[in-house]
Amino acid sequence: MEVIESLKLKEKEYIEKLDNGMTVIIIPKPGLEKKYVIWGTHFGSIDNRFIMPETKEEVFIPDGVAHFLEHKMFEQPDGTNSLDTLMGLGLDANAYTSNDHTAYLFECTDNFYEGLDELMDYVQHPYFTEENVEKEKGIIAQEIKMYDDEPSWRLYMNAMDCMYKENPIKIDIAGSVESISKITSDVLYKCYNTFYNPSNMVMVVCGDFNPEELIKEIKKRLLPNKKQEEIERIYPEKEKKINKKYEELEMEVSLPLFAFGIKDIEENANKEELVKKHIAIEILLNMIIGKSSDAYKELYEKGKLLSEPDLDYEFSDEYAHILISGQSTSPNEVKDKIENKIEEYKTNGINEEDFNRIRKKVYGDYVVEYNNVGNIARMFLADKMKKINSFDYIEEYKNVTKEYTENVLKNVFKRENMIMSVIKSKK
Amino acid sequence: MNYVKTEIKQGINLHNINTNKFKTNLFATFLATPLTRENVTKNALLAAVLRRGTKKIKSQDLISKKLEEMYGASFDCGIEKTGDNQVIKFYLETINENFLPEKEELDKKSIEILFDIVFNPLIENEQFNEDYVESEKKKLKQIIDGKIDNKRAYSFERCIEEMFKNEPYGLYKFGYIEDLDLITPKSLYKYYCELLQKCKIDIFLSGDFEGKNINEIIKNNCEINKLTERKPEYIVNMEKTEIQEVKKTKIIEEKMQVGQGNLVIGLSSNSQIENSKFIMSVYNAILGGGANSKLFQNVREKNSLAYTAGSTFKRQKNTIFIRCGIEISNYDKALETIKKQIEDMRNGKFTEEDIENSKKLIISSIKGISAEQDSEITYYYGQELSDTFTNIEEYVKKIEKVTKKELVEVARDMWINTIYFLRD
Repeated sequence: MEVIESLKLKEKEYIEKLDNGMTVIIIPKPGLEKKYVIWGTHFGSIDNRFIMPETKEEVFIPDGVAHFLEHKMFEQPDGTNSLDTLMGLGLDANAYTSNDHTAYLFECTDNFYEGLDELMDYVQHPYFTEENVEKEKGIIAQEIKMYDDEPSWRLYMNAMDCMYKENPIKIDIAGSVESISKITSDVLYKCYNTFYNPSNMVMVVCGDFNPEELIKEIKKRLLPNKKQEEIERIYPEKEKKINKKYEELEMEVSLPLFAFGIKDIEENANKEELVKKHIAIEILLNMIIGKSSDAYKELYEKGKLLSEPDLDYEFSDEYAHILISGQSTSPNEVKDKIENKIEEYKTNGINEEDFNRIRKKVYGDYVVEYNNVGNIARMFLADKMKKINSFDYIEEYKNVTKEYTENVLKNVFKRENMIMSVIKSKK
Repeated sequence: MNYVKTEIKQGINLHNINTNKFKTNLFATFLATPLTRENVTKNALLAAVLRRGTKKIKSQDLISKKLEEMYGASFDCGIEKTGDNQVIKFYLETINENFLPEKEELDKKSIEILFDIVFNPLIENEQFNEDYVESEKKKLKQIIDGKIDNKRAYSFERCIEEMFKNEPYGLYKFGYIEDLDLITPKSLYKYYCELLQKCKIDIFLSGDFEGKNINEIIKNNCEINKLTERKPEYIVNMEKTEIQEVKKTKIIEEKMQVGQGNLVIGLSSNSQIENSKFIMSVYNAILGGGANSKLFQNVREKNSLAYTAGSTFKRQKNTIFIRCGIEISNYDKALETIKKQIEDMRNGKFTEEDIENSKKLIISSIKGISAEQDSEITYYYGQELSDTFTNIEEYVKKIEKVTKKELVEVARDMWINTIYFLRD
């Protein structure tokens, strides 16, 4: 078992790659009441075309399958539902699907191993029938409609539409009412057999555990399974340009919503570089429009911004973009302000004092992530899917210099890659 | 127990929660005052104006810069309804000094900044800074207008408003636009001075302060020294249910451009039996607490009528709210299914297993309270505002003791007070 220690955080990470190809990560938290386990497969909404490793058959699936599969995993042949069983044990159980992975999880204070029995049992035993697949379509259609009424979700999807022409990040995670109507149990089994092989899965556990004993308990619950080759995923070619500059939609909102985006088309050298770049981008976003920035002060005082915008950098091998989003009476003024600030920093460089202060803040933000078992486990899983170790953010922080950050500004914050999505209020 | 309460002065208490489970130390100050139509908007505006600047740190960006310098300490404030009280909450969270890359003093600084914001605002000519008040008024107006943006939250808020019409709890915590126009920098300052003299003040410290003499730092703080003793004015939350007149169900339907209907049903209780709040908590879990609950099983799983279906128990108000997002055309069927579940509860149509599962769900969340600093503070503050103190172990025991007989008894005293439906 590999052990990585973070001296600054006073935390340890135990990593074990099992014979069947599965990775287990354990972050022990002695003395804590809460325990959290999350089991994820590297299969998300963007994986809609792939070659099955066994048969070499190329499969093209309808939008929303990963999410549909997640819903259906809970159903058991004896008519019970594993979510109910887990809740019955007093555990807080759930599952989710993102762009690049699907995860099954629970949090508990007691009954951890009873919960692990059920979790590992249901994830390893799919049960799809034509009948139970049909029934789920009604529930998911309601979920899709719930999101359709949500202005912030529409704002985000339109921002993706501005940045990408063909990229599967544009696909709604749940699919559409039309696309899910095409889902059959056969499609679900094909995806299950491909993506739910242990080689494609990672389990992260956080809580008061002895790592060696926990690994034994996990191994006991795994079914014999052959290690599988890497799955070949087929994505459209990367686009060097944005799709369109601007998109707007009218909805019933009191105040317009905006998302200012910058598509990042830079090729990244390696994973360390990715972490450093991520840190630099967070520093830059805080300097441009964060709480203490001049631009925010001005917009806030003029009443153009209600609170500081959300600052985000989303990335995987297939996409990467910055999003600054919030609510404003005049999204265009916010956009101009951001663009001007970026140009100003490019021309004059960034202020050293501001840089050092914001870098301290960003360090603090990473430390706070370690306050909660659920946060820790979800973070390690999501980062692992990107082949990143979460501790690296703490370690690399000191290597992000002012000069490095200025380079990132020049290479990523390009005017031709900026877009804007707006939800206007219906009068 | 890791919790200790000390009185600093009459009406001002210090609560220490000693824990080393976190990377952060959390400092909080709560001001509680009875919810009234007269003051609700003022309190909401006050919270917003106070964070704009102090006599020492004159503007918000300077406060932000100070906090960023402290490894991104974060300040937050908010307005909450706790029973019939309105509470203005101020939090400052900072990294525990053990986890800094270099040694630095953060706790004392944090306490100073927090008290400075709450008790030492920027005052010019006997009034708040005019620009701050005017711009916060505009923002608060936008927040109040923004109520409609999230349809789920809006529907919930509307149901509460209708159910508690003309009562304190029916007030919107952010206040009312027509009242906002009447507030001036002077009148707000006058109100603030009065509030500080009579509100209930509670200070919470959660974290690892070993060797710090943290209580002395608080007691010797100049802002705390300035505060006077008071007989605090606030509403004590009673463990016993107040009896309400059983009325005909109020039915409210509202139209908006939505694709999904939002159904919210408010249930009232008049149960007078011992420990009724603990029994209701179990009742709520069986009815709509999680994936095992009757609502989730019957509304969502068996009939595919909804994606969300569940219920929430508002302990201080003895009220259960059922919330479902449904296909608009399914309204009648959904309502009928929900009523059937309430009826089944009344007739004892639930198993010992349902009870056990629900208890486990509640106990697990109670045991998990101390795994989050904020929820532990909220728990003890809830006890502080209540007429009886129940610690976490006692709470668990009381849940464990709930019987089926008691549940049926409580179920018989439940009635549908209000049905609210948002549709297109």
